[in-house]
Amino acid sequence: MARSIRVLALVTDAFGGHGGIAQYNSDFLSALASCEGVREVIVLPRATERLPSTLPHGVRQLGPVQSRAGYSLAALWTARAHRPIDIVFCGHPYMAPLSAGIAKILCAPLWVQVHGVDAWAELSGLYRRSLEAADLITAVSRYTRRRLLEWVGIDPVRVKILPNTVNPQFRPGQKPGYLLERYCAGGKKVLMTVSRLASSERYKGHDRVIRALPRVLSEHPEAVYLIVGDGDDRARLQAITADCGLVEKVCFTGRVVPEELPDHFRLADVLVMPSTGEGFGIVFLEAMATGIHVIGGNQDGSLDPLADGVLGRAVDPDNGEELASAICSALCAAPAKVDLANRFNVREFTEHLHKLVRNLSEN
Amino acid sequence: MCGIAGIYAYHYAANPVEHAELRRMRDHMAARGPDGLGEWYSQHERVGLGHRRLTIIDLSERGAQPMASADAKLVITFNGEIYNYRQLRTSLESEGYKFSTQTDAEVLLHLYAEKGQAMVNDLRGMFAFGLWDAEKNALLLARDPYGIKPLYYADDGWTLRFASQVKALLVGGKVCRRQEPAGWVGFCLFGSVPEPFTTYQEIRALPAGSTLWVDRIGTRQPKQYFSIADAYCHAEATRSVGNGEDLQLSAREALLDSVRHHLVADVPVGAFLSGGIHSGALVGLMHDAGQQDIQTVTLAFDEFRGKSEDEALLAAAVAAQYGTRHTTRVVTEQEFREDLPKILEAMDQPTVDGLTSWFVSKAAREIGLKVAISSLGGDELFGGYPSFRDVPFCVRTLAIPGRIPGLGDLARWLQNRLGQRSVNPKAVGLLKYGATYSGAYLLRRGLFMPWELETVLGADTARLGLRRLKPISHIEALLTPRPKTSFGKIAVLESSLYMRNQLLRDTDWASMAHSIQVRVPLVDAKLLSQLAPTMTSSRPRSKRLLENSPRVPLPAQVIERRKTGVATPIRSWLQRGKFVQQSRPAPSLVVEQWGWARRWAFELAELVKG
Repeated sequence: MARSIRVLALVTDAFGGHGGIAQYNSDFLSALASCEGVREVIVLPRATERLPSTLPHGVRQLGPVQSRAGYSLAALWTARAHRPIDIVFCGHPYMAPLSAGIAKILCAPLWVQVHGVDAWAELSGLYRRSLEAADLITAVSRYTRRRLLEWVGIDPVRVKILPNTVNPQFRPGQKPGYLLERYCAGGKKVLMTVSRLASSERYKGHDRVIRALPRVLSEHPEAVYLIVGDGDDRARLQAITADCGLVEKVCFTGRVVPEELPDHFRLADVLVMPSTGEGFGIVFLEAMATGIHVIGGNQDGSLDPLADGVLGRAVDPDNGEELASAICSALCAAPAKVDLANRFNVREFTEHLHKLVRNLSEN
Repeated sequence: MCGIAGIYAYHYAANPVEHAELRRMRDHMAARGPDGLGEWYSQHERVGLGHRRLTIIDLSERGAQPMASADAKLVITFNGEIYNYRQLRTSLESEGYKFSTQTDAEVLLHLYAEKGQAMVNDLRGMFAFGLWDAEKNALLLARDPYGIKPLYYADDGWTLRFASQVKALLVGGKVCRRQEPAGWVGFCLFGSVPEPFTTYQEIRALPAGSTLWVDRIGTRQPKQYFSIADAYCHAEATRSVGNGEDLQLSAREALLDSVRHHLVADVPVGAFLSGGIHSGALVGLMHDAGQQDIQTVTLAFDEFRGKSEDEALLAAAVAAQYGTRHTTRVVTEQEFREDLPKILEAMDQPTVDGLTSWFVSKAAREIGLKVAISSLGGDELFGGYPSFRDVPFCVRTLAIPGRIPGLGDLARWLQNRLGQRSVNPKAVGLLKYGATYSGAYLLRRGLFMPWELETVLGADTARLGLRRLKPISHIEALLTPRPKTSFGKIAVLESSLYMRNQLLRDTDWASMAHSIQVRVPLVDAKLLSQLAPTMTSSRPRSKRLLENSPRVPLPAQVIERRKTGVATPIRSWLQRGKFVQQSRPAPSLVVEQWGWARRWAFELAELVKG
């Protein structure tokens, strides 16, 4: 295939962004740019947290435009200025009407990416029809795909799965001494949750873990629970911790810099996040890649990184006893010592994405 | 005739095939294939195929499935019969292919090796199969032109699963049970679930006359290789020539050829016999085809004894005419009530029919048959339904009032003012739907009208289901390309909707529950191509083509009998009893004066959804 495909990517954030969607988009666009036949990927983000230091070859990221109207105009201008555009990539369902309109004007195929809650609840007719106009929708998980298909009347064969991938810096290793010291965790079993502490994301289930802790501590008194991340829900969780008399056993680390994140996973013995609202849950992959056991919920996209319980334990998030029991078992288990997330590696992700590009181009 | 199942974990993130899951799927279909079972897994455990066997051709163990090619690059699990497999085999042997069995399954393996996906165009028969191509890392699913044999699949985005039954997919335990509103809306509109929908969101029927290719990217768009509408359009463009005698002669040859092909078996082939012309003529043609020992079976009911509805005497007359070994099986209301739980269990998808098929298959099994010929499809092929007359009449009559905007909605408003019980909803629907073929057909075959569904199914299910199914567009799509003649249009609709989704599906689950293979010589793509030119050009004469075909004519009383549907007292048995423990009282629109099927559909919906 000649290098002739130019892609216009309309995304919330990507390179230089923070959070799961930014990470996914960065991985996606990097892999897309490496695809045989793809000449250039022009990325227009709504936001960036910091300027990306480097961009992959073939990727050009334009400056962010935050206002909705401004972004729409910028997208139209970019599309016009960079013709011919061969594929319009839409990184979020909320951008689907704009992307569908541009794709129609350009007579280019539309590829929409959906992640989690953004695609679960029925949106208005305009958004639905825009999604139904997509030539390809990729969902991060089977659960998100299923939820999308509940309300979008698109042929299911046009909705494929492209799961999160995990970067190579997440790999097994010793518990880092500087973190053992920082959190006074030497000689202790470390239970960990990594996520934002947002009041809008209480489904993550930190409170469920805190409430299960007394039962865990009765078997593993040496255990501590590290809550990694920060946000406006922290005070509530701290209050619950205090109410349960667990202040000595629960540590709120605050937000950690990305460079320290792999070491945090290595510090842990078990990552637990009994969530009910994950589109996928990339932290499960990152944790498994560092060789620790993971426990997640069985009612959302978490089942994908857990591979239905094959790679990690899937529990009913609302069953405290089951959760506590799963934590106790995981704390007793021998360290995994292998990259459990290997099946989600970057190579597989990239190869699969390339196949999807080829298929979309050919059709 | 068998039950097939398979799992392909095509996505790189998917778990390998779980053997226990495949076995659960396969063994749920034990009645479809009580004579043998088999399973096969690829070396990397990404693919598993399962099979339950009803031995009909090559009864030896060599015919067991899944069957692999000699080089193990191709593996097939196959349900059905390929009636021209001997001709295909001869042709493949001349190309150098070596055979180690006498089965049609092995022919399919070699035919795929020779022609790839285009192989389906050479097949005459009823079939559904999954064929694994190890070199291409791909799975081919295929279904016969009319959709005689079922094939359902569920793709969750990681793994594709397929089986002959929806319930087999469910018992595997990995397929989501979330309901599909479009399937339920279709059921309440048509009395059966219209393909490709099922009542489960994740499960779809592979459309009749289509293939499906699944590779490492996942499921591709199904490819249609045969269309009934296309066949009728083609027939209209090639009108038959010749006088009545010539047409009768060529029709007899075509019918005899189809019947002869449908007799290919290594076990005895019997026949279902009613008092009608179609089944009688088929028995006559079986006789003409050289089958001397024919077992026939007819249902009788005490309620009809001595009445005009009693078909037993007519059937006995046909049996005597052709010298068959005939059995008349009496079905009682008590037996019906005893069997009903088993019927509901065997019913793969909700349907308002299939009860007659259940009992006649049961009777066939009792007399030791494995294969039986049915006259299903005769009314579609020869224009026997009232719809061939009523629908064109309706469209002609309402052509002008149907164009007046808002008239249909006004009629509904009036109905609401007068109260739902006062006016038949179909009468109200006339002004809204009656002016087009698709609309008039919906009126003719419909149980409930679209605006009634909210009461029957609930607001959300009705809204979502109607949005997804788009009933009128769904019907209209089947008329593409559009036959010019009214006969062609109705034949397409009856064959693609009522026959495909209702009659063939019901016949399949009801017969397979008794391990009976039902063969339908009047549902045959080749026969259609031979008869459709005559049928679309000279309808009045052509209605008699079948009855005049047997060399020994049908008894006079059978020919002279007024055309009726198959009469059974089952409707009154259903009307008398309340079979389902309803979670809510039947709404006022489910009243008996507008048809027993509406109430039966409502009760079934309550039972299955509940």
